[in-house]
Amino acid sequence: MEIIKSKEEYDVIVVGSGAGGGMATKTLSDAGIKVALVESGPYFDPADPETQTQLKWPWESPRRGAGTNRAFGDFHMSYGDWSLDGEPYSSVEGTDFKWWRSRMLGGRTNHWGRISLRFGPKDFKSKDYDGLGENWPISYEDIKPYYDKLDKLVGVYGTKENMFNEPDGFFLPPPKPRLHELFYIKGARKSNVKVMPSRLSILTKRINNERGICFYCGHCDRSCSVYGDFSSSSCLVIPSLKGGKVDLYVNSMVNEVITDKNGRATGVSFINKENGKDYKLKGKIVVLAASACATARILLNSKSKAHPNGLGNSSNLIGKYLHDTTGAGRGVFIPELMNRKIYNEDGVGGMHVYSPWWLDNKKLDFPRGYHIEIGGGMPMPQYGIGWNPNDFNKFFGLRTGGYGDSLRDDVKKYYGSTIYLMGRGEAIPLKENYCEIDPNSKDKYGVPVLKFRYKWTDNEYKQAKHMHDTFEEIAYNLGGIPLGNKPTKKDNYGISVPGEIIHEVGTTRMGNDPNKSVVNKYERLHDVDNVYVVDAAPFVSQADKNPTWTIMALSMRTSEHIISEFKKQNI
Amino acid sequence: MKRRDSIKTMFLGSIGASLTLNSCITTEDKVMLDQVWKYNYGRTYEELKWDYKVLTSKFFSDSELKTIEKIANIILPPNEKGNIKDAGVVELFEIIAKDFSTPAHDEYGEKVLRRGLNVFDKICNERFGVNLIDCSDDQIKSVFDSIAFNDNKDEGLQEAIRLFAVYRGMVLTGYFTSEVGINDLGYKGNTPNVWDGVPDDVLKDYSVSYDEEWISRCVDQSKRNDLAEWDDDGNLLT
Ligand SMILES: Cc1cc2nc3c(=O)[nH]c(=O)nc-3n(C[C@H](O)[C@H](O)[C@H](O)COP(=O)(O)OP(=O)(O)OC[C@H]3O[C@@H](n4cnc5c(N)ncnc54)[C@H](O)[C@@H]3O)c2cc1C
Ligand code: SF4
Repeated sequence: MEIIKSKEEYDVIVVGSGAGGGMATKTLSDAGIKVALVESGPYFDPADPETQTQLKWPWESPRRGAGTNRAFGDFHMSYGDWSLDGEPYSSVEGTDFKWWRSRMLGGRTNHWGRISLRFGPKDFKSKDYDGLGENWPISYEDIKPYYDKLDKLVGVYGTKENMFNEPDGFFLPPPKPRLHELFYIKGARKSNVKVMPSRLSILTKRINNERGICFYCGHCDRSCSVYGDFSSSSCLVIPSLKGGKVDLYVNSMVNEVITDKNGRATGVSFINKENGKDYKLKGKIVVLAASACATARILLNSKSKAHPNGLGNSSNLIGKYLHDTTGAGRGVFIPELMNRKIYNEDGVGGMHVYSPWWLDNKKLDFPRGYHIEIGGGMPMPQYGIGWNPNDFNKFFGLRTGGYGDSLRDDVKKYYGSTIYLMGRGEAIPLKENYCEIDPNSKDKYGVPVLKFRYKWTDNEYKQAKHMHDTFEEIAYNLGGIPLGNKPTKKDNYGISVPGEIIHEVGTTRMGNDPNKSVVNKYERLHDVDNVYVVDAAPFVSQADKNPTWTIMALSMRTSEHIISEFKKQNI
Repeated sequence: MKRRDSIKTMFLGSIGASLTLNSCITTEDKVMLDQVWKYNYGRTYEELKWDYKVLTSKFFSDSELKTIEKIANIILPPNEKGNIKDAGVVELFEIIAKDFSTPAHDEYGEKVLRRGLNVFDKICNERFGVNLIDCSDDQIKSVFDSIAFNDNKDEGLQEAIRLFAVYRGMVLTGYFTSEVGINDLGYKGNTPNVWDGVPDDVLKDYSVSYDEEWISRCVDQSKRNDLAEWDDDGNLLT
């Protein structure tokens, strides 16, 4: 087999260009460090009209945007979803894990929800509160300066609320609530549920002259052509390419970290997807950011004499403690919102208000909290609109179904009268929930693939039950009717399948004790002093928040640590 | 980037090659070819290949398509706001039949959409001795009266009722995702604008309102272009 080797030795090789990898590339290259960024997907720039889906109408797709090719619809800016051709994964029998992979420059940050929350002081030390899981080896004070820098560099709107576990930052002003969000505010307040402006990395105001300001098309999931929202591609990688310190390798699938006989990393090997050839890159430091499970896979597949069960895996913990956010949701029909006057209510591509966790778990029968996200309004029609045009007739004792001109009126009557409440909660990380290499299966490039084993426990089921109780209370308090049946114990309280909320974290957990963790507090492998992990794999616990702001703050912190090591000439 | 630039040419190249093998380019082929390029919605190479396959094969026969057209026009009769022809509803049936004809969609075209036609024809034959296409509008409506409503519990009609619901869903979705349908609905948006809250006249109609404390902290749209600056405590200064 022909292997093509690079002559040049890079200071740092970054694997993966999503939230973690983009931030590392930017921070390191800004400091003058020579970086190779290796990305398994194609080049992608949200401003490129060739690939743009923003501002397209449903009829511009032959299938009106239906989700045949892209799971979340034709216009969703993700190359890849729950399944990728020729790149399988599986779950241990009786368990299920869904793995979302997006292969493109910028990874999942091209279509993510932009909900950008800091973890709070409690989130880093939750074991101190309930004895479960593990504390992080760092505290909020360690990461705060990086959250601050991140806010200013990337931009996030929100408001100062002075809540202990929802730290404030440097916020841009939030957009005003939409009509259905005012209904939510009313219902939540009546139910004693805290409600406040959401915190999303969307520019409601100028932060620099390179990026445009949001023009309220409501579709950040399509990626913003004026860079009004944060994507790692538009805001981190593409700007760093201009600095001349970054070589970008696209369509390049890293399969292994290469080590010398002492077990130190000397670079990575990858397969070029266009010509199928193998390449080797040399680097003084390797920074992995392929996303939590993909990084675990690369490490476990990097076996050598010095690291017989995978690189950095002397603790045998790589892949273990995999956990995702819990999720449950309910639709609510609001009769008062029938026959709406129509105006442009697109707003930003996400919610304008939300509820952070507002209760004390000491007084509840489940250990960790959740936040509530809100959807609704009068969005652009998409495939599926009008499918059950008059289902809500049943609430008025009228017939449902039928045919004829009246269906037109039914669709108009009920358009914009539904809101969606979604709970997103913290799960307890468990050693028994993991991903591992499947000895019997390889992808189309010949690289062994992952097998998952993940099960929720009562901690999560009880939390989902509480979510549903809350949704019903809020629904009635805002004058609405909850839709469908309330899930019961029999249907596991409607909890999401693990992986489905797409906040998978924890596969190379961080800690001070090399027997109990995989990386140290600077996200460096305990076993190898020149390999770092800057995606969500090092998370000790995923709070009742979304993970990405913390991925990026940690990546920035780790990158600055690497820069200081270079300066001290430790490398 | 280079690769993206090459995609279009690569793709046209491969079509060109297969067409030359076919030795003569029929006008039909040319129409199809134009069809792929009629849609310009940011596809990857693999997606383009799939679209080409979907757009250049034929699932329904012409007479089946005529039947669908007839059904669709009764489910959603034309008026001055729009009709199923301008909304491209029949074309959507043809496309979805092939697009969803994968195991993941349980052979939607074969098992659902064509099955629907067969079942509707069967009922028409039982009642009137002819296929649906040869029935009068009133005859068709009398059939729909028994299969279009969810409260009909007649055992023998349950499959027809389920299939009719799919037809109705397809017709309405096709209509309301088309240009005429979206205009008919009145949806406003998908265009650059500045969101500055719910219009006052709308707010007045409802039991909710903005509270001062909340919106005083929201974006002042007249200052959206001023560069953000904060004091050390995170208070916005601009
Ligand atoms: C629909 C959706 C909505 C979301 N909403 C939110 C939200 O509102 N807030 C929030 O905080 N989070 C949200 N998330 C989660 C968020 O997107 C992820 O947490 C975040 O992108 C993870 O960053 P990452 O760098 O670890 O991985 P990714 O962003 O997934 O990037 C990984 C990159 O590595 C590349 N890669 C993978 N394997 C290899 C390999 N072997 N070799 C080379 N490159 C490789 C991939 O192609 C990809 O570009 C959402 C996710 C989805 C899908
Ligand atoms: S909502 Fe705003 S930031 Fe998001 S894609 Fe549209 S214009 Fe860009």
